[in-house]
Amino acid sequence: MSARSLLFVLAASVGLAGTPARAETSPLVTTEWLEKNLDNPKVRVVEVSVEPGVFERGHVPNAQNIVWHTDLVETVTRDIASPEKFQALARRLGVDKDTTVVLYGDNNNWFAAWGAWVFAQYGLVDNVKLLDGGRKKWEAEKRPFDVRVTDVAPSRFSVGQTAPNLRARLPEVLAVAKGERDAKILDIRSPDEFSGKIIAPQGIQELAIRAGHIPGSVNVPWARAVNADGTLKAKDELKKLYAEAGVDGSKPIITTCRIGERSSHTWFVLARVLGYDAKNYDGSWTEYGNTVGVPIVNLAGTVWGGK
Amino acid sequence: MSRPAIEKTGALDLWSEGAARPAGTLPERLLGPALAVAIGAGLVAAARVVAQEPQGGTLALSLVLGSLFGFVLQRSRFCFFCIWRDLIDRRDPRGALGVLAALAVGVAGYSAVFGAFLPDPSGVRLPPQAHIGPVGLVLVLAGLTFGAGMAISGSCISAHLYRLGEGSPTAPFALVGTAAGFGLGFLAWNPLYLASISQAPVLWLPRTLGYAGALALGLAMLALLAWPLFRFLAAEPARAASARPDPLRAVFVERWPAWIGGLAVGAIATVAYFRIAPLGVTAEIGSRTRQGLAALDVLPERLEGLDAFRGCATIIRDAVLTPNGLFIGGLVLAAFAAALAAGQFKPAWPDPGRAVRGLVGGVLLGFGAMIGLGCSIGTFLSGIMAGAVSGWMFGAAMLAGVTATLLVGRRIGLLS
Repeated sequence: MSARSLLFVLAASVGLAGTPARAETSPLVTTEWLEKNLDNPKVRVVEVSVEPGVFERGHVPNAQNIVWHTDLVETVTRDIASPEKFQALARRLGVDKDTTVVLYGDNNNWFAAWGAWVFAQYGLVDNVKLLDGGRKKWEAEKRPFDVRVTDVAPSRFSVGQTAPNLRARLPEVLAVAKGERDAKILDIRSPDEFSGKIIAPQGIQELAIRAGHIPGSVNVPWARAVNADGTLKAKDELKKLYAEAGVDGSKPIITTCRIGERSSHTWFVLARVLGYDAKNYDGSWTEYGNTVGVPIVNLAGTVWGGK
Repeated sequence: MSRPAIEKTGALDLWSEGAARPAGTLPERLLGPALAVAIGAGLVAAARVVAQEPQGGTLALSLVLGSLFGFVLQRSRFCFFCIWRDLIDRRDPRGALGVLAALAVGVAGYSAVFGAFLPDPSGVRLPPQAHIGPVGLVLVLAGLTFGAGMAISGSCISAHLYRLGEGSPTAPFALVGTAAGFGLGFLAWNPLYLASISQAPVLWLPRTLGYAGALALGLAMLALLAWPLFRFLAAEPARAASARPDPLRAVFVERWPAWIGGLAVGAIATVAYFRIAPLGVTAEIGSRTRQGLAALDVLPERLEGLDAFRGCATIIRDAVLTPNGLFIGGLVLAAFAAALAAGQFKPAWPDPGRAVRGLVGGVLLGFGAMIGLGCSIGTFLSGIMAGAVSGWMFGAAMLAGVTATLLVGRRIGLLS
């Protein structure tokens, strides 16, 4: 460790860097905390935005970039990044098991949360945090942006065991749908997708063959967890929001949406912020709604194709 | 032999026209500049208003850059067709050298931006949004068609846009034709994609050569093209030694030397890419056409692969105000203001010959720009600046298309 970085760690530990105690335990960091910790060598800031070109035209100083549709997935097999691919990514980002990783992005941290879920698959759970409010709040508070890319020293991170208990697969979801297994399925799509009036939002071509939702699932659209300024709602408000839909943490929860990305946001809220036992079903409606013969609730009665 | 009346598009004609002082009384002479100032103020006010919208910074900057671009195009007569005709008919290389200057500045500027956007070009990724398109037979067809459209309608799309601001009687027809051509392009897209475009490689020079290598190759190519043009340069008419320089007149009334326009175009292109997106003038025309045709249910349900390509994207947007829409709006209005200030706003009634040539040429321009994923700005200029092989290939095919169409058109007496 260089003298400079040693100084930073010392400074952080005596409280110069805001409230490190809180940042260590909370899954969220504030914009204020992040600005004070931008040069902290144990903090790695990573942007995961939906829109291409957003990071490149201005990002949080010293942040690294993840392009979700190539870095975090296997593009041919439609799976999350393989262990080898994720390991290479983490090394390039200079992320290791003792690094505090702060993810943020556009669109209320939607894909940043997806990033946190993928990181969690490979054992990076408690040290991965979201910047509360994401790009939106950072910009609204007139905090600095930078276009230069900071070189970071690669880490020696190696993928150990994956964490399958954070990922739900089709057989498990099917068992819940058939009542053979006790869990609560939380569908975070729009009410019209949930009821089956539409199969997917406007402009989406990758459809399921059928409309509707998984039997027994309840609907709380993902963005209801977010305040107008982009921050997450307070814990008690969040608890109330999900409790009203019957999700109170007393049973294991499975979050689902169309392709499993929006539902990562709700997974983060439930698992990391509220501490509930929650998994994300990344196959989601594009898998379930295309699977032959599985039970479906189709309130609207919409039938794909034909007349 | 009777030839149809031809719009005067020769750059030299317009120069002498621009240099003439407008006749009339003092108030009459001040009317144009006063209107121009009012339009400029209106554009500034509009930028301030759109800045309040969501994503307002991008919208306002698009309007500003479009206005600057329109001003530069009008002031330096940056018209690819006129420039090419000057070169092949009159051996006047000044315009062509201006285009090469624009490309040289842009190639260098893009390299600098790329270094920040994507420090290592050797991977599988392309720098965001840069117009790096598929290279194949359809691209050649696109360039040839687009070039034919230039020769027939008398301009490319960007020049028709700034000419609209000069009161050109042909431009409105050409732009309507362009929209129709886009429609035909959408209808032809799926077969072309399945037969050829889907297998066409996307070739990006920095991936194989690195940024320094691609920059050196790009500049060397431009120098190689410029070298033979130098010997056509005629002696400048000597200025009277006593003439006092008049900067206001030089900027707002007299035609700019093409190389100054070229440097400005290269600078605007770099800033536009850095802050918003590569220069392009067809995204709005294309997406509005697509939106209209989709509403009429005449388009295929899916345009295979189209929205995954780089270039002037025609994805249908719900928003009323789009960055490219404001860019085009600023371009036309600023060209109008520039023409007014210079006494070059010369509206004329269209005659049937111009209307027909505008429409027919416009259809070819639109079709070429649709299947080529952009025009002489979006695919040619922005492509070459980005180190895309597609930019060079489109440019070569476009010039071949212009030349062949002119030769044939003149032989059969339809073009002059």
